[in-house]
Amino acid sequence: MLEIHCPYCGESRSEEEFSYAGEAHIRRPSDPAGLDDRAWGDYLHFRSNPRGAHRELWFHAAGCRRYLNVLRDTASYQISQTYRVGESPEDV
Amino acid sequence: MPKAGAPVPDATTLRGPRRQACLSLRAQPTASLRGAVATALGVELPVAPCTHRRAGERALHWLGPDEWLATAPAGTEDALQAALRAALTGHFAVTDVSGAWRSFNLAGPRAIEVLRKSSPCDFHPRAFAPGRCVQTVFAKATALIACNADGDFDVITRTSYADYLRHWLEVATLEHPASP
Repeated sequence: MLEIHCPYCGESRSEEEFSYAGEAHIRRPSDPAGLDDRAWGDYLHFRSNPRGAHRELWFHAAGCRRYLNVLRDTASYQISQTYRVGESPEDV
Repeated sequence: MPKAGAPVPDATTLRGPRRQACLSLRAQPTASLRGAVATALGVELPVAPCTHRRAGERALHWLGPDEWLATAPAGTEDALQAALRAALTGHFAVTDVSGAWRSFNLAGPRAIEVLRKSSPCDFHPRAFAPGRCVQTVFAKATALIACNADGDFDVITRTSYADYLRHWLEVATLEHPASP
């Protein structure tokens, strides 16, 4: 069970309170109509799926109900950083 | 289990579910908002995460960086909502959510044990002192738990969970019941 630090609540809480919401920092294309099918499909469906450092979006469902960013290692599960939506991780 | 009829010195008192006036407040925590809320409700707006403020029967709970829950005696929701709407300016939302919430109160020296067996949160007095409130998973449901100045706890939960949580809390307090 992970302990995730919520940057809004300012404390670490049990993973039970959170739900996973996919890869973070995926920007919606500014002109979707101008994209070809491959580029739109990449935006909608394809994610990086790395082994190692992964920038993720989590939802503090049972707590403050805010989305937060989590920098987690997919191999060791170690969370090196959590930060608010709209911020960028200091070292990535 | 204590013997039937024997007094229980460290009994846990369970009250509820109780209907209260509940208002949801959404706004940015500016100085003007803090002033207006304090004027309208007589309770200071808690801006520190996971805290609540209480003045008499009224309380304000921090739910998020721009979200609070106000509680007060049942029947006062319309007057409180009118007072808030009159005092607040700019971009805000005040919603009567009294029907959505029910409150329990747990009191007694062993009430903390009831919380500990219901939720993974840290309820040690070092982490959960009077004035703190947390939203968390509670007995497979969700709840807002607040620690009051005299050390008793408010457990505020969705109305649809209230009957279930009443049964849960009754069983959880069996080891140290108020009336054996």
